[in-house]
Amino acid sequence: MAVFISRRLIFLVFVMFGVSFIIFGLQMTFSPERRAMVFVTTPQQAKDIPVLIKKYGFDQPFYKQYFTWLKEVTSGHLGYSLVASDSVWRAFWRYFPITLELNIFSSPCIILFGIWLGTKAGQKANTFTDHFTRIFSIVGWSLPTFLFSLVMLMIFYGYFRLFPPSVLGDELTLLVYGNTGEFVRYTGMFTVDGILNGRLDVTFEALKHLVMPVLTQMVVICAILMRVMRSGMLEEMGKDYVITARAKGVDKKTTILKHARRNALIPVITVAGQLVAALMEGSIAVEIIFNRKGLGWWLAESAMQLDMPVLMSLCLFIAIVFVLANLTVDIIYAYVDPRIRLS
Amino acid sequence: MKKLCIFISLVFALALMSDSALAGDPNTFVKATYGTVRTLDVATAYDTTSGMRLRNIYETLVEFDGESTERFRPLLATEVPSVENGGISKDGRVYTFNIRKGVKFHEGQTLTPADVEYSLERNMIVDQEGGPSWMMLEAVTGYGGTRKDGKIIPGVFEKIMDAIEVKGNKVVITLPAAYPPLMGMLQYAGQSIYNKSWAIANGAWDGTLANAAKYNGPDFNTEPLQNVANGTGAYKLKSWEKSNQFVFERFDGYWGQRPAIKTAIVKYVPEWTTRKLMLQNGDADTVTVDNTYYPEVKAMKGLKIHLVPQLGVSMAFMNQKINMTANPDVGSGKLDGNGIPSNFFADINVRRAFQHAVDYRAMREDVANGLIHNPRSPNVIGLPYYKKVPLPDFDLEKAAAFMKKAHGGKVWEKGFKMTITHNTGNTLREAAAMMMAENISSLNPKFQIEVRNVQWKDYTVKYRQGLYPIFIIGWGADYPDPHNFLYTFMHSNGVYGKHMGVAYGDVDKLCDEGIQNADPAVRKRVYHKLQDIWYDRALAVGVYQNILVKAYREETTGFVPNPMFADAYELLRLMKKR
Repeated sequence: MAVFISRRLIFLVFVMFGVSFIIFGLQMTFSPERRAMVFVTTPQQAKDIPVLIKKYGFDQPFYKQYFTWLKEVTSGHLGYSLVASDSVWRAFWRYFPITLELNIFSSPCIILFGIWLGTKAGQKANTFTDHFTRIFSIVGWSLPTFLFSLVMLMIFYGYFRLFPPSVLGDELTLLVYGNTGEFVRYTGMFTVDGILNGRLDVTFEALKHLVMPVLTQMVVICAILMRVMRSGMLEEMGKDYVITARAKGVDKKTTILKHARRNALIPVITVAGQLVAALMEGSIAVEIIFNRKGLGWWLAESAMQLDMPVLMSLCLFIAIVFVLANLTVDIIYAYVDPRIRLS
Repeated sequence: MKKLCIFISLVFALALMSDSALAGDPNTFVKATYGTVRTLDVATAYDTTSGMRLRNIYETLVEFDGESTERFRPLLATEVPSVENGGISKDGRVYTFNIRKGVKFHEGQTLTPADVEYSLERNMIVDQEGGPSWMMLEAVTGYGGTRKDGKIIPGVFEKIMDAIEVKGNKVVITLPAAYPPLMGMLQYAGQSIYNKSWAIANGAWDGTLANAAKYNGPDFNTEPLQNVANGTGAYKLKSWEKSNQFVFERFDGYWGQRPAIKTAIVKYVPEWTTRKLMLQNGDADTVTVDNTYYPEVKAMKGLKIHLVPQLGVSMAFMNQKINMTANPDVGSGKLDGNGIPSNFFADINVRRAFQHAVDYRAMREDVANGLIHNPRSPNVIGLPYYKKVPLPDFDLEKAAAFMKKAHGGKVWEKGFKMTITHNTGNTLREAAAMMMAENISSLNPKFQIEVRNVQWKDYTVKYRQGLYPIFIIGWGADYPDPHNFLYTFMHSNGVYGKHMGVAYGDVDKLCDEGIQNADPAVRKRVYHKLQDIWYDRALAVGVYQNILVKAYREETTGFVPNPMFADAYELLRLMKKR
């Protein structure tokens, strides 16, 4: 196991090098003027473009710019984000907990709900339950996230005034961001920090503000898991060992839950791993519409403004997340199916 | 199923919990907007959002008198200098400011004339690339910058430090020549006053000539006062969660009248629907409203809407010297029916034809919901020396007649092909481009005009390379003076004049005469003449002068509209809530 993990981690270094090389190469396709424009927000400032190009070396050859960047990164300087008005490192630790918190709540909901629905659909193939869940999954998967987020916001916040956007209400926001020492942001996740600070009002309010984003992600994303689970269940339910178990008198519930569902989980784990990894990049539409400043919002804004230090750093982060997600999936495979050995 | 019921019950329980929203609190003002603050360093802030924060935390020597952009009232000075009260010398070169006594900074220091001298000098010495220092530098040194070709101009720092001196309780600014817009520049947030010892302690310029160069042209992330603030304003910085929210707290030691609002929260909410619902539900007292959404806020109840004409203008510039190198927008590059030559717009008949091909009324009433003025020249409504020169009428017969005369009749005979570009997302500029393209194309089947949109940042790069036959772009006032517009648009070295490929000796001379003369009668003559020339030579197509929509909840009062200030602006010390 240790050898397997070490090998994967060494592999990660090459992945990061490759990703950084490709992304850096892609940004070189933009002219030096276009890259200098990231510093320009008004027509008045445009006159300084030639000076900015010289100052930041945008006219240097690719290899020089790449190695300068590599040197800075390896010495711990990820650069400065104009979008966040802060160093990339500090900004990352400000936005990452917001995305992580959403994912900590939404991922289990998505996975468990997807597996539950898929199991039900597979178990009751071609019945009303199956048709309903299939339609639900098709609709959910087809819905653009931004549209569904807007609908949820307009109904629940706009009409019923129940679930406001943002991460907290005003009063508690003033408390947590006030830097008065009354509230310590240990993790940056307010549900957790509320408990650590003995302020359950913060935790509950943070939970309240998570309901809509989590529900939106559940509806939109669990569809694919449900479909994979359903297919897996249908396949497993028709296999000989299920028929044998039933013939031997094992009750239906045990057959489904202990045997068929466990075997049907393998492809679900693969998909779930990728989904959770993708969610770590942040869900752009959900974060923007529900006004949660996480990695998704930051990535989208940086991409629009060509904030290269952010794009480079987030691409590296995404590479790390995907490699680790795949590693975790491999480890879970071995747990779920003992026939699989890590080597 | 039991687990699902528990889950749903929990969600309902959370839904029933009250939220700690504060917009209903009469002591708290909440604004939702999409502008982000870049820096709190007065010397480098050059965006309207940062300017709004600075304007409430710091103070300048003078400020605009309410809605006026021509009258001023004293702030940290005790009176507005004028020739009559001896505050401005007769030749317009020397300005004397009496500094107010008993003013405290947020951290407890007392304001002195030395703080004023230091702040004004540092605001020029820093001179970050793309920063706002050029304005005062142009007035004080005549250079418009401290560097040339990347090197510091010899003697520039001496000039700066000699120009601003303390004399007793007065601060005297001595200019090399009269510079009439100076007062308008001094009200700019970038000329705010801060405490010298505090700034030095935070790593800013140490106040010595010897070290000035060391603090000149800092990188974007290295301004020492970027994240801290210590002004004399009615509000102090309580917290700033970057790109998320900015919180002001009333400064109890403020020298002026105690403001009504105790806490002001500015939230960054990029999505319009979210902002709109916040305003509708009373979770925000005001939100940023783009003009496109005006009908939506107009239909909402319980709002007070202000319409504020802005000192800014967008025009479609006709490039008289198009850069033909690898240019996809000029077709064959010849007047052969498949392209246009470099000097296509150098013929005034072509320019006149394009001017007559725009339905200005439809632009104003139908496209912009009445939220624009049709600009007649760059010296728009609200600027001093405004002259109502004629607006070309929408008349396709006239347009055809001009086209028949253009380039000795060759344009009509051979036809042409070109592309009009506009930046993505600006519906008014898009509409203007479409109108010109469709109406001109309708004159003659041999006229082919396509319309293409380009991202703003790419657009700015390309128009500066002279690649666009027509570029549609805007300008917002740095200070309320015709020089800021007419020089920019018409002078052969102006930001847009240069890229229009025009070089009129008489225009350049008039632009220079206008800024070097303090006599209002002379300036009036000069700027009226320039506006006449703008019309006579048909230099561009006026697209719009924007009218800003400011929507407040009815219970929120105190907003003072001023054409110089964009949406970000709110003078919190005047705001009140019932």
